[in-house]
Amino acid sequence: MIKLTRIDDRLVHGQVALVWTPSLSADCLIVANDKVAKDDFLKMTLGFAKPANAKLLIKSLDETAEFLNNPENESLSVLLIINSVQDALTLSDAIPEITSINFGGLRGKEGSKLISKAVAVTEADIEISKKLLDKGIELEVRQVPGDKKQMFMDLV
Amino acid sequence: MQVNYILITLIAMFGHMEDFLGTTLLSRPLVLGPLVGLVLGDVNQGVVIGATLELIFMGNIKVGAAIPPDVITGGVLGTAFAIMSGQGPAIALALAVPISIFAEMVISGLFVFRPVFNKKFNQYAEEGNYRKIERLHIASGLLKPLLMGVIAYLSLQLGSGVIKGFLESIPDWVHEGLGVAGNMLPALGFALLMNLMFNKKVAPYFFLGFVLSSYLKLPMIAIGALGVITALIITSITHKEDEQSAPPKDSASGKSASKVTRGDIRNVFFRSMALEANFNFETWQNTGFAFSILPILKRLYPKQDAMRIALKRHLQFFNTAPHGSTLILGMTAAMEEQNSKDDNFDSESINAVKMGLMGPLAGVFDSLFWGTLKVIAAGVGTSLALEGNILGPILFLLIFNVPHLVLRYNLTFIGYNQGNKFLQKLSQSNVMDKLTFGASILGLMVVGAMPALLMSIKTPLALGAGGSVVKLQGILDQIVPNILPLALTFFVYYLVRRNVKTTYLLFGLLLFGFLGSIFHILT
Repeated sequence: MIKLTRIDDRLVHGQVALVWTPSLSADCLIVANDKVAKDDFLKMTLGFAKPANAKLLIKSLDETAEFLNNPENESLSVLLIINSVQDALTLSDAIPEITSINFGGLRGKEGSKLISKAVAVTEADIEISKKLLDKGIELEVRQVPGDKKQMFMDLV
Repeated sequence: MQVNYILITLIAMFGHMEDFLGTTLLSRPLVLGPLVGLVLGDVNQGVVIGATLELIFMGNIKVGAAIPPDVITGGVLGTAFAIMSGQGPAIALALAVPISIFAEMVISGLFVFRPVFNKKFNQYAEEGNYRKIERLHIASGLLKPLLMGVIAYLSLQLGSGVIKGFLESIPDWVHEGLGVAGNMLPALGFALLMNLMFNKKVAPYFFLGFVLSSYLKLPMIAIGALGVITALIITSITHKEDEQSAPPKDSASGKSASKVTRGDIRNVFFRSMALEANFNFETWQNTGFAFSILPILKRLYPKQDAMRIALKRHLQFFNTAPHGSTLILGMTAAMEEQNSKDDNFDSESINAVKMGLMGPLAGVFDSLFWGTLKVIAAGVGTSLALEGNILGPILFLLIFNVPHLVLRYNLTFIGYNQGNKFLQKLSQSNVMDKLTFGASILGLMVVGAMPALLMSIKTPLALGAGGSVVKLQGILDQIVPNILPLALTFFVYYLVRRNVKTTYLLFGLLLFGFLGSIFHILT
């Protein structure tokens, strides 16, 4: 089952490997990203961040959907990591199991505004987020599990 | 008195200079406590209070942008007030906790405010004016020590009288209750550490540490040494060597007419100490990265135009674990050199590599340094310091910083000379797995020893009545010595796993200990 779906543009790093993975008792980290899945260098670097007790899979969005919709993989405790709001929408369309999305880290870019310490969103991000909300998906903002769960829309 | 206030303020400011000092733990309570003690003429008290605070804030580490309570301001002021009023560790802690939570809010505010400077930084980059970038990076970095210095000084100046009067009016039973409550708090620190490391696979090592300390009464240094040996033995069994085909180093190739000198690389290392000086919530360590890589840029891009482009490139978002940042800096140096020589070099790839590496390497170095090295350093340091031994803080700094600085220095050169090849070698061999696994064995053994060595919870309860009273603690000690600290640590760990907020746990534990003392269940 999917324990958490997290948007984090640094993908796997200290907070994910060191805090989220043990806290969720996740045994499988899936990085779902079309670009990374094709890039051997990035794949290699992500391999370093793998926590000792979980396996790390790096897949394209399509492969991820296929993998997670496969009943054989239901016994895994999955921490699903993506790096954009757009990918969140794509995946949630393809994977019905996703009912909640965690905004963990999105760096500032041109035209974005900071809505919490580590999350900056653009107008386009907000538009996509509304679609997610319309589908009944919970959008919450937390860097680490101990943070207070803040609702995305309350911050925008 | 005034002189003391100023000196203590300077200590707080020194602590906040940590952002220029490369996260070398100089700002931890275990180090600053003795300094405050020195100023106030009671080093011994300072060492003990520093150790007490260190224990409580042990699991409190900075991972990513998650900012923990500010132990610098809280610790320094708490220690100072406690010594000045002659009240001891319990009071230090009662004051340090709220002050550090308040100070954390101020610091978060600063991190939110700092992006205001980003416009300036970008403008300077546009002008190719690296001197101004350096200056602003340092100036902005000085804001935190200055701001917290003002807060510390005002608190001392205005608060001392009030707090002294207040503390003197505290009745004995409250004082005693606070003491017992303080003894509960390390359980939170241990639980937070366990949360980083504990799992079924390595659980036995935790209990090994506990048995060694609780039954065999071994000191922390011995347990650390046994931990290293155990980790080496176990990893050599589980991770068979596969290094038979270590490729010969071809460092002679390529690096022919290098403009970059060894001195430049060394400079990058030194400057990386200030990586976090201008930490902010928008672009994080970006100006720190630019600041650190500048010796290379200056060497490679004498023309203002090229410098301008390079500066803009390195002012992009960056964040990684400072301890291992030099590996990325070294690799960047090598890529910049390529870029300056080869017109066809895709300069986009420089940032791609930076962005690709910063997250994963932060994961590696965070767990290595915070999860293991800091734990061992603090375990050994506090166990000595609690007895008033000044060697405590000294060993604490040495155990952490000797490996830290040696590795950090060498990684700069490894990154520059071998870069990609080094990473490939790492990813093909099982060194990383071995290291992570070994580190978690060692770390857990030390954490397992902590409840027995560093916590004191006892119960005065007695069973039976009249002539045949049996002390409960006596029975417990015969079966499992130190069972109470161990049980409490596990209980808090369970709550941490359930995502109960740290602040609630902190105050919950204080209350628990306090009530336990009042009702004579705990001493």
